[in-house]
Amino acid sequence: MNGVLRRFLWPAVALLAVGALALTLLVALRSPPDAVGEPVTVASGTTAPALTGRTLAGADFDLTALRGQIVLVNVFASWCEPCRTELPLLVDAERRWSGRGLRVVGLDVRDGPDAARALLDETGAGTLTVVADPRGDTAVSWGVRGVPESFLVDRDGRVRQRAQGAITAAWLERWLPPLLAP
Amino acid sequence: MTRRRVVVFVIIGFLALGAGAAMWRSIRQPAPDPARQLGAGLRCPACQGESVADSRSPMAAAMRDVIAAQVAAGRSPEQIRDWFVQRYGPEVLATPQPRGVGLLLWVVPAIVLAGGLGLALRARRRRTRPRTPATMVDAGSRRGAERTWNLAALCLIALVVGVALAGPRLAEEQPRAAPSAAADLALARSLEQQGRYAAAVELYRDVLRRRPDDQLRLRLAFALIRAGEAPEAARVAEQVLAVRPDDPDTLLMLGLARREAGSPLARETLRRFLNRAPEHSAATEIRRLLEAEGPPR
Amino acid sequence: MSGQSVIGQLGTAALAVGLVCAVAATLLWLRVAQRAPAACGPSPSSPARRHARIATIATLAAAALTCAALEWALLRHDFGVRFVAENGGRDVPLYYTITSLWAALDGSLLLWLLILGSYAGLLGRAVPSHARQLHPWAMTVVSAVLVFFFALTYFAANPFRAVQPTPADGPGPNPLLQQHPAMGLHPPLLYAGYIGLVIPFAYAVAALLAGSSGDQWLRAVRRWTLVAWALLTAGIALGAWWSYAVLGWGGYWAWDPVENASLLPWLTATAFLHSALAQRRRAIFAGWNIALACASFLLVLLGTFLTRSGAVASVHAFTQSPLGPMLLGFVLLLTVAVIALVGWRAERLAPGEPIGAPLCRESAFLGNAVLLTTLTAVVLTGTVFPLVAQAVTGTRAAVGPPYFNRAAVPVAIAVLVLMAVGPLLRWRADTPAALARRLIVPAGAGLGTVAAVGLLSRPGPAALAAFGCAAFILAGAIPARRSRATSPRRSREYAHGSISDRVNTSLIDDEVLDRRGPAGGLRAIARRAGGAAQTLVVRRRAYGGRVAHAGIALVAAGVAASSAYPSATEQEIGVGDTITVHGVSARLVAVERRSGDAGMWVRVRLALVRDGRPAGAAAPELRYHPAREMTVSVPAIRSAPARDIYATLIAVAPDGRRATLRLAVNPLIGLIWAGAAITALGGLLAVGRRSGSRGTRVDAPPGGSPEHDEPPLPARAGSGA
Repeated sequence: MNGVLRRFLWPAVALLAVGALALTLLVALRSPPDAVGEPVTVASGTTAPALTGRTLAGADFDLTALRGQIVLVNVFASWCEPCRTELPLLVDAERRWSGRGLRVVGLDVRDGPDAARALLDETGAGTLTVVADPRGDTAVSWGVRGVPESFLVDRDGRVRQRAQGAITAAWLERWLPPLLAP
Repeated sequence: MTRRRVVVFVIIGFLALGAGAAMWRSIRQPAPDPARQLGAGLRCPACQGESVADSRSPMAAAMRDVIAAQVAAGRSPEQIRDWFVQRYGPEVLATPQPRGVGLLLWVVPAIVLAGGLGLALRARRRRTRPRTPATMVDAGSRRGAERTWNLAALCLIALVVGVALAGPRLAEEQPRAAPSAAADLALARSLEQQGRYAAAVELYRDVLRRRPDDQLRLRLAFALIRAGEAPEAARVAEQVLAVRPDDPDTLLMLGLARREAGSPLARETLRRFLNRAPEHSAATEIRRLLEAEGPPR
Repeated sequence: MSGQSVIGQLGTAALAVGLVCAVAATLLWLRVAQRAPAACGPSPSSPARRHARIATIATLAAAALTCAALEWALLRHDFGVRFVAENGGRDVPLYYTITSLWAALDGSLLLWLLILGSYAGLLGRAVPSHARQLHPWAMTVVSAVLVFFFALTYFAANPFRAVQPTPADGPGPNPLLQQHPAMGLHPPLLYAGYIGLVIPFAYAVAALLAGSSGDQWLRAVRRWTLVAWALLTAGIALGAWWSYAVLGWGGYWAWDPVENASLLPWLTATAFLHSALAQRRRAIFAGWNIALACASFLLVLLGTFLTRSGAVASVHAFTQSPLGPMLLGFVLLLTVAVIALVGWRAERLAPGEPIGAPLCRESAFLGNAVLLTTLTAVVLTGTVFPLVAQAVTGTRAAVGPPYFNRAAVPVAIAVLVLMAVGPLLRWRADTPAALARRLIVPAGAGLGTVAAVGLLSRPGPAALAAFGCAAFILAGAIPARRSRATSPRRSREYAHGSISDRVNTSLIDDEVLDRRGPAGGLRAIARRAGGAAQTLVVRRRAYGGRVAHAGIALVAAGVAASSAYPSATEQEIGVGDTITVHGVSARLVAVERRSGDAGMWVRVRLALVRDGRPAGAAAPELRYHPAREMTVSVPAIRSAPARDIYATLIAVAPDGRRATLRLAVNPLIGLIWAGAAITALGGLLAVGRRSGSRGTRVDAPPGGSPEHDEPPLPARAGSGA
């Protein structure tokens, strides 16, 4: 009995361990790679962190003042290439949906005000409300992973969606209208 | 002899004392830079496999600033770590927390160590027993050998067939991804050099679908001009100009496209280009072009 | 041009021929193995063996032809061949055109085939006289592995596939792989090390298949394993050096999955070398040997899977490819087969004799095997964990250096302690008093180092322990000669010592020469002075181990110093300004820009000053490669024995008047490269001819006095370290 046990127990345990490892590796291999070009979208439900500061235009800004409106917070910087293509889209979105309660706020991370203004002028987004975050601490408190990143904050001040990477018109089409519906 | 031994003992004791003191001093020293240590324990979310402390990405720099500010405010390392985990999720930790799956990181090596020690102890305790003599496997009958050989041949062929069947299928399943954009661009550029503009245009469009980029659009426009599709080139350049008004390169491309298409707006566009960027490397050429066509009416 | 170019067709055809030849070789070797008379094995020149050998040589020729074809296509810039279109480039320098064969996955598989084929060809000719019946089985295993890799290359990663339309130019190899001449040496060395481990694996499986429970297979693989191990050591060190000199972050080891994948088989192979050594003394390591030999090669394959499948994120990893799942399948197939075989032969692997005394060298070897296995488990768990976490929780957790530093460093220090004490222990049994006498000098050196370093600076406990161990190992490896030989006490001790005791202290066996009383000692010294080189040759196996240990000690000291006393600073400065760190300052003299066909570069000229004296110039660069859309930072390193000054250019302001620089002083980092070279050299030194008929002749030093000659002992007890 002991001999049989010794003979089969260890190989069986070893095979089990190998099988378990193989299974997990296979599962990991099967998981699809991130789609190219589309932002990674994560649903969220947490209360939006504080977003206060001085805008590029020189006014004071506080996100809590915008309660009751849908706010699209877009984190960008002049040193970020994809942001360039994204900004005109944001201006369009605000123009299109502002009547239904959308506000767009840019958060300019670790950037000089001149460079940011130049970028905004260049992309025709000079009208955008942009809060300067020269040290990036506001972005970090929002858990920003990289630039650009966008957050949709609902009327109750909760973050509903966050998108890592440049958002597209299709992305806005998909996530904005459900929130804007009264 | 005894004196010698005493001397040796004294020396060794002295050295051991010194070593102990040195070790104690090393263990007791405060963490040299808590902010750096915290940064080393956090993963830069924008990078691949770099810590916040080492990364050059601006977001990592911002995170370093936040860590420094919180350390200066007197928060404990645990509190700061928790603050980051709350915002970035547990993935932000460079070492997974030792709970849940993270426990595996410590349990597996511990099991291996325990198993190894168990085996080693068994080797020490085991009774001597007669070893099985070093016999070779009985070669068996010719028939048995024949059968094994056939079986092995079958297994081998199965291996080759398996790889042959699985290889192309898996290759289809995982189309070549990221690097192909760069390779395609290089290919497109070389196609242009060969004068095969239509093929280059196709390739640029393909890359643009995967990765929208204004510079690339301008290259597409240039290839279009050379492929003889100037109106299309002008449309592409106009799109870019809408996003980047007054960008000299875009103006140049639009002007050239319009000129090639015979548009009356060409002169004006090229003039705008010259006004915006009189120092541009193409400016002299354009000036010459405009002058050769005669004064503006 | 219809379909493939001529070179492409030739390459594909060679691959097909290689596949067929490998299948034939496997079956022919299997036939030889089965025809083997149980007792002594077939003669080395039977017709069946000759046929099998021809098939193996044909496989090697096919592998060589595929490599030559692809190399030729690269040199001719034949962009109709897929691999050349993806990795070739007209403006790539000749040297890097040649090395681009292994700059991407598909081409590196051809190199893999060539090396594996070469090992098979060499092994096919080397029939060990004492393990003749195992040889065909081992060849069968090696040939089967060849079959798999030929099939993999032919069906899933054929680099010769045609490209339509044919591009006029390619992007060239990854710019990071065009920065350093080590690129020509590091991958081939690493591969040669990796693949060499197939031979111990093959013989271990052969021993299991043939049911041979003796240690014949160990004697057959000893030299192969040593060579593979030395090559692997050199390959890993070159990789670290490359990382240090090219990647520009100032470090050499980041616990990156690719680096870990190369370390894993090295750890098990190191453990295997030691346990094999001990097994020939005492039959207690039979199971360990089989397990470690098999694990080494399986870890090579697992590492190849991890790095080639895109399964783990890494800076070095090749991109995702269909090879991953197939490699995983092959690793699993082999693992299951090995476990089944071990289960089948479990009876014959049971340890025979117990270790009697707890204090003996066998115990140290056992501890070494356990610790190195644990270290392997730590590194493997940390490397695979992200995949496991993803499979279980769905999120991809990361395991960074903090984990490895916390989990692996204590184990590594325990290994160092064993390395220090182990070689001073005697086989079979040792007494604490005798051991203490042997330990006193090395331990004193170790303690003294800890005391001196720890009281003068604060390097941290781990680094301090590493310094101490390094000094301990070095002092133990350098034998004190004169004083011992002339000490009357020692000669008395010698007189009482038994002959077998004398023979058994193999790693310290030149003490044997010294303990012969004053007269004998003088004679020994005279003899040594006359034939130092000869002694080195005769005793090179013992010296090999010692040299390798000394090398590891140097590496440990270098690693400890460079991680305990880091000093780096990063700053943006203008032209004429100075950046200072740890007594070294660099003045920014000029910023230069240039652009050409192959891209643009920005270079800053720095004037270095150390401790008030000029210390030369440095010129770190940033290079932009448009073909790959990649910017590469090329660090400038001023090496000196005591420290490296390491300057990296991070960014240049658009106006060209300011630059962001990183300046670092890395102390004693040269010790790592020197130590690794010494370690590899030690491994090669130990490749002495000991086994077989010629071995006995070499063993007896010519002209040795009778008291020096080894008595005829049983084979196992008589062999040296």
